[in-house]
Amino acid sequence: MTARARFSPRVGVVIPALNEATSISGVICSLRSQCNYPVVVVDDCSEDDTINIASQAGAHVLPLAARLGAWGATQTGIRYLLQQGFDIVATLDADGQHEPESLPALLAPVIKGAADVAIGTCPGRVSRLRLLAWMMMKTTSGLRMEDITSGFRVYNRRALVELADARATLLDYQDVGVLLHLQAAGLTLLDVPVQMQSRCEGSSRVFHSWLVVGRYMLQTLVLGLSKRRLSAQTENKT
Amino acid sequence: MILWINAAIGLLVATAILFLIRRDKLHVRHGVFWLLVAVAFAGLGFAPPLVDWLAKVIGVGYPPVLAIMATIAVLVIKILLMDMDQARHEVQLQRLIQRVAILEGTIRQHAKSDDDTTSP
Repeated sequence: MTARARFSPRVGVVIPALNEATSISGVICSLRSQCNYPVVVVDDCSEDDTINIASQAGAHVLPLAARLGAWGATQTGIRYLLQQGFDIVATLDADGQHEPESLPALLAPVIKGAADVAIGTCPGRVSRLRLLAWMMMKTTSGLRMEDITSGFRVYNRRALVELADARATLLDYQDVGVLLHLQAAGLTLLDVPVQMQSRCEGSSRVFHSWLVVGRYMLQTLVLGLSKRRLSAQTENKT
Repeated sequence: MILWINAAIGLLVATAILFLIRRDKLHVRHGVFWLLVAVAFAGLGFAPPLVDWLAKVIGVGYPPVLAIMATIAVLVIKILLMDMDQARHEVQLQRLIQRVAILEGTIRQHAKSDDDTTSP
């Protein structure tokens, strides 16, 4: 047996959560029934009982003292797991959209070393309006991934080190900015088709008001334009 | 006349800045910038021929406009620098909040482990 084959990476799961008391327990239990990876829930200053429910469900909870947004919460979990010596981190939403059953498929290319980042894609889940928004974001940023807003991702250690950096802290959202940051670092990003569900409860942080959508779109388009790769790029797809 | 008003404002601002630094209401790092700007405008106000000469060289027909343009340019640059400074502070604050969350989570975990071991 080779040293590479013997190497068993430490895998952890990060779930950013904001007012997800109704769904967080189900997500954690579903994860724990699928795999035995430590689950870190980063509570983004919830006003409900998310912290206690997540803790009772067996997750390690990191409670943020002020609301940092989905990406700020995710980065907290990444920084924590990196400190703890984890090699691979999977991130998924707390609303039950991402199916833990798909996690092995997402982990496989990263564990094998075929990619630094695997992105769970499910373009069929979104409306035409959101597809139009994606098209605009892809055009300005030059990104070629299928599902650029998916929070269902797996990162290897190289990607984790990049994402834990202070330069990534200024990003407001975990989509275009994070992907461009990883791409600029020369990491390989891979689309992995997965099944996704509609939200169990609550509403999207971004797509719940036209004003927020407008601000999000403007910020993302400017970010994509300013950080766009100047040379030709190549990304893999499965 | 506008240049004299400019000079008076410059002197007033310079005095106010020295007062604010004296009272520890303004960091000396920021104070130095404003003081230099205020002194520069006061100087321009007291030496109108300099502005007239500069306006003629650049090709500005009405010299006071040059002083106003320069003021606006300095203010825009300063606001941009302030935004950059704010972004830096925001990063520091966010990372501090993240660090506190990590520490609090670790303390909670230890407390939970202790409870589990002590409970019969």
